[in-house]
Amino acid sequence: MSGGSLENQGAHFERVKALKETRPYSPCRAACPVNTDVQAYVGFIAQGRYAEAFEVIRSVNPIASVCSMICHHPCEQACRRCSVDEPLAVRPLKRFALEKAADYRRNKRKLVQKTKNKSIGVIGSGPSGLTAVNDLADLGYQVTIYERHPVLGGMLASAIPPYRLPRETLQQDIDDVISKGVEVKTNCEIGKSITLKDIMAKHDAVLVAVGLSLSRSLPIPGVEGPGVLLAIPFLEDVAFDRKPALGNRVLVIGGGNVAMDVARSARRLGVRNVEMVCLESAEEMPAWKWEVDEAVEEGITIHHRWGPKAIKREGNTVKGLEVEKVLSVFDKDRRFSPTFDKNQTTLIEADTIIITIGQMSDMSFLKDSPVQVDERGRAVWDSKTHMSSAKGVFFSGEVVTGPGSAIAAAASGHRSAVAIHLYIQGEQIEGNLPSYDKEKISQLPEDVIAKINRAPRIKLHHLPPETRCSSFVAFESGYDEMEALEEAGRCRGCGGGAVVDKNKCMACLTCQRICPYGAPVVTSFSEIRPEFCQACGLCAPECPGQAISMVSYDVREFRDTLPSLVGAVDSKRNEPVIVAFLCSHHVGAPGFTLPDNVRKVPVHCTSRIDVNDLLKALECGADGVAVVRCSGDSCKYKGIGVRVNARVVHTKQLIGMLGMEPGRVEILTADSHNGNAYNTVCADFSGRIKQLGLIQRSNRL
Amino acid sequence: MIVGSQKSIDEIWNMVKDFKKVLVFGCNTCVAICHAGGDKEAETIATLLRMRAAQQGSGMVVTHSSVMRHCEPEYFDPVMDELKQYDLILSTACGVGVNFLSARSGNIPVYPGINTSFYGAVQKAGDFVELCGGCGDCVLHLTGGICPVVRCSKSLMNGPCGGTKNGKCEVSDKIDCAWYLIVERMKQLGTLEKLAEIQPVRNWSHSTHGGPRRIVIEHLQELEQQENKG
Repeated sequence: MSGGSLENQGAHFERVKALKETRPYSPCRAACPVNTDVQAYVGFIAQGRYAEAFEVIRSVNPIASVCSMICHHPCEQACRRCSVDEPLAVRPLKRFALEKAADYRRNKRKLVQKTKNKSIGVIGSGPSGLTAVNDLADLGYQVTIYERHPVLGGMLASAIPPYRLPRETLQQDIDDVISKGVEVKTNCEIGKSITLKDIMAKHDAVLVAVGLSLSRSLPIPGVEGPGVLLAIPFLEDVAFDRKPALGNRVLVIGGGNVAMDVARSARRLGVRNVEMVCLESAEEMPAWKWEVDEAVEEGITIHHRWGPKAIKREGNTVKGLEVEKVLSVFDKDRRFSPTFDKNQTTLIEADTIIITIGQMSDMSFLKDSPVQVDERGRAVWDSKTHMSSAKGVFFSGEVVTGPGSAIAAAASGHRSAVAIHLYIQGEQIEGNLPSYDKEKISQLPEDVIAKINRAPRIKLHHLPPETRCSSFVAFESGYDEMEALEEAGRCRGCGGGAVVDKNKCMACLTCQRICPYGAPVVTSFSEIRPEFCQACGLCAPECPGQAISMVSYDVREFRDTLPSLVGAVDSKRNEPVIVAFLCSHHVGAPGFTLPDNVRKVPVHCTSRIDVNDLLKALECGADGVAVVRCSGDSCKYKGIGVRVNARVVHTKQLIGMLGMEPGRVEILTADSHNGNAYNTVCADFSGRIKQLGLIQRSNRL
Repeated sequence: MIVGSQKSIDEIWNMVKDFKKVLVFGCNTCVAICHAGGDKEAETIATLLRMRAAQQGSGMVVTHSSVMRHCEPEYFDPVMDELKQYDLILSTACGVGVNFLSARSGNIPVYPGINTSFYGAVQKAGDFVELCGGCGDCVLHLTGGICPVVRCSKSLMNGPCGGTKNGKCEVSDKIDCAWYLIVERMKQLGTLEKLAEIQPVRNWSHSTHGGPRRIVIEHLQELEQQENKG
């Protein structure tokens, strides 16, 4: 009863999607390796429209659930809120949306019809392989996955510890892809169970996405023998519950994210004394800062700026690692080139040492294959086509790009799927692969920063370190509805703001005069600078030529949906028909309800409401129209109240000329922290309208 | 620019109530800038008319649209066929636009949706002020850039009159005395002595008293004719 017309909104979002492609991206979207439209799904979260949020996320990211747990979120680093207070918590919001949409997602899975009589073999089911399989299945190809492990997911399943990525979370992404109808061959190791030539013979094209499956070791004395482990075999033992043999004192060599996984896993295997040693200082370490902080919380000691020299043993037993002081890690060109003070050495005692200094690809399966390898044993491939020297054999992901993030590997998977499709179709590949390198809007100007309300980022809850070290259970709890809503409200909607139709603009300067952020500059017509615009929408209703629309949530399109929203009005009704315009960021609040006779129109901010919207609602049959504003500090924009108020007053004057009671249009204020407040203020308003009487119309348009 | 103001909906309704199919036709230049008759206000008027029609049980159909200007044919010619689908065009252009469009709309009447008020400037958003009377015989060089024709309530050429008081006009203390402003401004410009010269009786035939005015720019006109011949 109180829902908007989703059909129309669907058309609206299709239009918005197309429009956004013609404009610079928001920094979060541009920073995402697959250009996820963060702003769009955050907007849906704010409205409690989780299925649509899921669709936005999943449309570009087949490893969405994985990313919701482990993504290094370059979107957050790029968020323009960084210059105001703290970035939007994008990853936790993604997790929230996906958890909320779980049922929708499960029910949506279905077989994709095989429309193409061609088959593709994909070797490896990590982020890159899985993404390519997803895309190729969507295109109607018959796809077979070859995976050496007993389960799909590559490193996600076999190396990322479950406290970071619970397996059931990963399974969500895998199930999405497999349900499309994909042949799966697990425990099938290329070069052992089957050769590349065999696979090539079976398929019209082959994608090699085997990642970096080998751990690098160190050429130092004492490295051979018991008590010294390599990262990947160790993590695989953890993943497959094979209980690696550890002593009482574990030392992890390395300062990257995998080293963090190793050290923190060792803690969870019951080792109380876990230490790490790395070449870099705390600032230079490649591991993400939050990983380091969490490891330290868990009681892990990090020795910075020491380089491994020799593993000391007594007999066969490891006693510790002799290290020498690091003088510098990088040369003047920021290239990795460590130098040491050979005279300053020490011994870090340990009975188990795990070497975590990087990974490399295992290319042994290319022996005797038509794929050429370079002098270092790496496959020769062309990054512009993803094809190797062997026709129809493609490469993607870290096996060719080197170490990176899961989502970057997924981007590579998308590109390789397109490459394969073009190859099969006999079309040119070079120049036709998707690029994720997009123009973006620049940083917030200083004077705009000063005008933005400060709002602290909503913190996530972590289990206490001692509890989380006792198992591999995920220690981070996601947001609840209220937290997600609050956090979603922090998004500034960068790039989603005002645009001018040059054909309608008469350069009247109204927008320039009223914009609180100085975004419009009028010369021969108005140009609204996206880096200044905060998408409040205050300008659009004042434009006399109706030349301004908003990229996201243009109210004028919602105006057209009002007749269907109000629907048929029963002339014998007992309760008045009320139309309530309210902030979309609060429609999703827990406990949000409205009385049955109130039809809601969620808008990005009530600052976008025009006199014509209010009139239209009355024309469509409403007995009363409410503009429900959020109370006090919860509005993310400053100083819009007076203008919204003036529009309501003007509307009262206009309906007064028709002999209608001015009280039929009102501004209401609701405490946005409490969903029921909207119900209460609307119910009160409805009562007042009932006293004014129900409008009897002889005909209604 | 030309400044207009909205008519009351009662006045408009009385004009249009007997028509079946009405187009409220906005003009997106001067009268849009003064928020009287652009696309947005045309939509507002159309909505109010539909609501009034519903109140009255009238079957009137009202829609709205707009073009950039009603005073140049190139802007509305492309939609002329569409305009002729209506029984009435309620133009929210200034009177110029209403006259001009009416002469070109065949059997379809064009009625005024707004009152054309004055030639004015935008002091700030939503604040429009009359500064020129369009008298056809400009004397601003003699009066410190302040128009006595329209800003003096009596259009005096040799003011001020005895009704000036503390810089205000005797008509209303909300109206500045134009001649007080002229004197102050000319003091500032150091040209006060010019006021010693008595201005002769004005020739009002250049203003609206001498019939409709027309200006033809010969060189543009000729070029157009030559091109038509060629």
